[in-house]
Amino acid sequence: MEGLVYIALFAPFASSLFAALFGMSERKIFVGVVASILLTISFVASAMLAFYVYGTGHAVHVTMMDWINAGDLRIPFGFVVDQVSVTMMTVVTLVSTIVHIYSIGYMDHDKSFNRFFSYLSAFVFSMMVLVMSDNFAGLFIGWEGVGVCSWLLVGFWYHKPDVSREENPSISPSWAANEAFIMNRIADLGMLIGLFILYWNVGSLQYDEVFAAVPFLDGTVLNAAALALFIGAMGKSAQFPLHTWLTDAMEGPTPVSALIHAATMVTAGVFLVIRANPLFSLTPEVSYFIAALGTFVAFFAASMALVNRDLKRIIAFSTLSQLGYMFAAAGLGAYWIALFHLAAHAFFKALLFLGAGNVMHAMHDELDIFKMGGLKKVMKWTYLYMGIASLALAGIPFFAGFFSKDAIIETAWNEGTIVLWAILVVTAGMTAFYSFRQVFLTFEGDERYKQYGIHPHEMYRYVLIAMSPLAVLAVVAGFGMEGFEHFVTKLLPDYHMSEHTHHIAWILGLVVLVFAVGGIALAYKKYYHGLKRDEKLENSWYYKLLANQYYIPVLYEEFISKPYAMISDAMWNKVDMKIVDATVDGIAKFLYKTGDETRKMQTGNLSNYLNWMAVGAVLFLVVAAISAAAIG
Amino acid sequence: MDNILSVLIFFPAIAGLLGFVVDKKSARAYGITVAAIEFLLSLWLWFSFDTGNAGMQFVEMIPLIPDFGVSYYLGVDGISLFIILMTTLMTLIGMVSMSIEKDIKNMIITLLFLEMTMVGVFVALDAIVFYLFWELSLVPMLYIVGAWGGPLRVYAAIKFFLYTFMGSLVMLVGMLFVAYVYHSLTGVWSFAITDWYALVLPVNYQLWLFAAFFLGFAIKVPMFPFHTWLPYAHGQAPTIGSVILAAVLLKMGTYGFVRFSLPMFPDASVMMITPIAVLSIIMIIYTAMVAYAQKDMKQVIAYSSVSHMGIIMIGIFAMNSEGIGGSVFQMLSHGIVSGALFMLVGIIYDRRHTKLMSEFGGLAAVMPKYAVIFGIMLMASVGLPLTIGFVGEFLVLLGFYEISPVMTILAGTSIILGAVYMLSVFKKSFFGPVTKEENKNLKDLTAKETWSLVPLVAIVIWLGVYPKPVLDPINKSVNAMLVFMEEKAITAEAKDIIKVPQSATNAGEVK
Amino acid sequence: MIGLSHYLIVSAILFSIGLMGVLRRRNLLMLFFATEVMLNAVNIAFAAISHYYNDLTGQMFAFFIIAIAASEVAVGLGILIVLYKKHGSLDLDDLATMRG
Repeated sequence: MEGLVYIALFAPFASSLFAALFGMSERKIFVGVVASILLTISFVASAMLAFYVYGTGHAVHVTMMDWINAGDLRIPFGFVVDQVSVTMMTVVTLVSTIVHIYSIGYMDHDKSFNRFFSYLSAFVFSMMVLVMSDNFAGLFIGWEGVGVCSWLLVGFWYHKPDVSREENPSISPSWAANEAFIMNRIADLGMLIGLFILYWNVGSLQYDEVFAAVPFLDGTVLNAAALALFIGAMGKSAQFPLHTWLTDAMEGPTPVSALIHAATMVTAGVFLVIRANPLFSLTPEVSYFIAALGTFVAFFAASMALVNRDLKRIIAFSTLSQLGYMFAAAGLGAYWIALFHLAAHAFFKALLFLGAGNVMHAMHDELDIFKMGGLKKVMKWTYLYMGIASLALAGIPFFAGFFSKDAIIETAWNEGTIVLWAILVVTAGMTAFYSFRQVFLTFEGDERYKQYGIHPHEMYRYVLIAMSPLAVLAVVAGFGMEGFEHFVTKLLPDYHMSEHTHHIAWILGLVVLVFAVGGIALAYKKYYHGLKRDEKLENSWYYKLLANQYYIPVLYEEFISKPYAMISDAMWNKVDMKIVDATVDGIAKFLYKTGDETRKMQTGNLSNYLNWMAVGAVLFLVVAAISAAAIG
Repeated sequence: MDNILSVLIFFPAIAGLLGFVVDKKSARAYGITVAAIEFLLSLWLWFSFDTGNAGMQFVEMIPLIPDFGVSYYLGVDGISLFIILMTTLMTLIGMVSMSIEKDIKNMIITLLFLEMTMVGVFVALDAIVFYLFWELSLVPMLYIVGAWGGPLRVYAAIKFFLYTFMGSLVMLVGMLFVAYVYHSLTGVWSFAITDWYALVLPVNYQLWLFAAFFLGFAIKVPMFPFHTWLPYAHGQAPTIGSVILAAVLLKMGTYGFVRFSLPMFPDASVMMITPIAVLSIIMIIYTAMVAYAQKDMKQVIAYSSVSHMGIIMIGIFAMNSEGIGGSVFQMLSHGIVSGALFMLVGIIYDRRHTKLMSEFGGLAAVMPKYAVIFGIMLMASVGLPLTIGFVGEFLVLLGFYEISPVMTILAGTSIILGAVYMLSVFKKSFFGPVTKEENKNLKDLTAKETWSLVPLVAIVIWLGVYPKPVLDPINKSVNAMLVFMEEKAITAEAKDIIKVPQSATNAGEVK
Repeated sequence: MIGLSHYLIVSAILFSIGLMGVLRRRNLLMLFFATEVMLNAVNIAFAAISHYYNDLTGQMFAFFIIAIAASEVAVGLGILIVLYKKHGSLDLDDLATMRG
């Protein structure tokens, strides 16, 4: 089994290195093919491990070598394949493999084709390190690794110039990449502090040792550690107030958005909370905060998705919203439900993004859904895929999202947090509305794209075939829920609804369903028959507020970026040059000046010298007399 | 080779003297050969170094002025070993990558002399010998900045010289006083640092002496607010000067703290933790902000290097093995990474004769290899895991957390602010469209440039993934030092704060 | 009766006259004379104090000073002559080549 662990882990790495060899040369199709094959190998290895863990119930634990040894700190490169990590591994490698194959088609006109695969595989490798490590430091390697890969991939089209925020809310790919990296760094500091707290209180960063020791730790220490780790999770999973980077990250190529910013990397925060559940279950206050923040973000992000016109940004907001659901579940103690939603979401959201990629490809990178419409004629398959994904996202019965999201909402009820429950239910309705608003505006109604002279075409056949596993999973994944529960609760704490909740579960489900169907019906009524713009609505303050993301990016710029640049400038020009350096120069100048002044004594006239000599002698006499008097 | 250390010191100096008779055309090849031999010698030093021994090795001792206890006393331990290796490596690589044509022979000879002084500082175990090399190292650097520098070179060179010189004079007074106290307590004169280690000084003496040494070291580091000579020196120095300055000369200051201040004045060091940590944190945040405001690429690197030295400083004063070991490791990492970054800036300067970021943009498309290497060094500089930059920074912050969580958070902003200014440099210079006509046809890295940078990239990744061969000997010597500091400390507070790792208490290895 | 103090007063007066000469005179030759006056003032004091204490060391010192002053004058006058030949003046205000 150890061999499989290494194959699963290093196949993406090999793929990245292989592609990097050709990184600066012409597009070579075999680079993409080889990368996809290696990823498939990684997926197969992960799946075999999953079966092994499922069959035996044992985790596979390997330690490759020492990494950092200093003082009492021992950090090895160790990897653990247990129920949680193998779930993540399978999901990550599956989605990655599909995205790799997809990218062969999607990126076929890009001159940096090879470079793209190198980055993409490097990302998968980092993600595997993140989920497989058996200690917090290893997790942090992956954590930062995916951050860098995300930076590289968001800024993949680095040659685009910066434009104003009105023209493009993300300014430019390189700007968005830097924003994402820096925001993540802020959270990473929190994460690092979390590691330090654990290390100095436990004496180790290995999961098993830390989790064995946490029950004996002081409450404040636990709270501090949990909070610090969660700050780390907030950055990677783009929770409020560190959320703005996620929508800007849509500047990256669409396969990147599908893989990184929907299915895998952004869920790393949720993974961290699930992984560290022994810690979080001991800190009810922090956990409740996580649940509350998750619920807030679910609603907050969904509200912004309601009015957005950008195909990818709508999906990004919905990702954000679904991450909120996952955090809500994890915060309420339903770790396995959070993990299940994570997996299900990975499938249907990746599918949705890849579908959006097809549309973009067809529309020559046009993203405004107001300029689309009626695409179903030319893009039947894509319509089908995006329809399935949206149904799953909306939580329509028997699609994947129905099971997982319903369970989360039910959990909120079960925990007695009625406010959270209510918000989550409303959000479910909003989710259904914006998903279908997007689908209808894209595929139904009048063919608005014609006036822009675009001739859309369907994606390559093999790409569509490659997407099919995701579509199948988006439909059927929900039926594996019980098996999944049985599987992961060997490691994660089981979570059961109370008798009472169980009793009224069908009512709760119905309420959610009413909201979901209501959302779809509203979208149908407003957008199915084409776009009718409502000037009054679009000019209202709340519409503008939502369309401008509550003005948060602007606020950040006005109150953080700009003042920081200003203060930096003042620090340099005013403080460093005018005070610190000027003081040093001042001392030097004073010495020079004293020399310059006293130089005047040096007249060259012997007579003056003699006079000075006499003055000196008299002075000495006076000093001698005074000191003699003082002593005597 | 019993006197390998003397060979390491004087081989470059003698080769430098012989360099006067080498003809001008072959001066460069001559210099590279000498530096390469020197590097191989230092590698040999590493391989014959006994990693199980935490004390001084390869010790050489020849009395010079027996009446005053001054002797030619050399030795290395795990702390100095790798700094020496880094010195010889960076000199070699700096020489290989050098693009200077003017007075090349003088430059080569100067560099070889500089190498002598630098190695001398790190192997000296006698305070007078240490001081001698310490001051001598100023002269070649003064010459390099003053003769090959930019338009303000004379100002920069004099500022550099006088500023650091003033600090070290105060340090000299401190040294003389320690020797005097040693004499009055034991009746013999000695300038041997290892003898001084045994001296238990009263706290008020320790504080005064700490202050005297502090001034000498802090200006060299350079700590806020003594840092302003550095941007001028970097701004005016030729590439090779900046590389050596950032990679090696600054390390002399931090090395001095580890070699002198901590073991000699443990109580004073513990008492000064807070003031020094505050200065270091100001240094980290403030210079990171100043770096962000710069318009000149080289100045960004110069200020960033000050900011990173702040991390090294707080690590030293973490008073535990993680922090100090991390600091020593970070010295190596900073040497290699900032050296490489200065070389990279030098490469673009050679092509465009400007370092202003506004003159660039879109270089990633024109010079992809250059962009890749710059990117790797940038990531190492911001402390990405699996690069050399992470190991030291992580250990330092981890170590200092034990002293003060709040200050660790403040110092930890370095990972955010570092990303801010570094990514902004990268974006301004490498991303976006190519707007300037002159940039459209820039040549990518030549073979010479590539081969001088690739070894550094390899080290950055190797030591990021597998720091053990370097970290273990460092750790061993640091542990021994901590054991001995704890024993020697007289105040209860110091005994409490100086933390000997459990692994070292069990082994019970004392110098 | 003429006592020690009288001698010392004379010596002090002489010394002051010499000092004033040194401070006020502009001619090098005059400066020389003034220093000679000061030296002789000291000699008087030496001789007087030597007599007062009955210790001959003081008088011996006075002889030393006379001898050294003589040799000094010899060398000094030589330099003065060279200076005069070179500059045609012995006025100090004209001899300010060492101005800093």
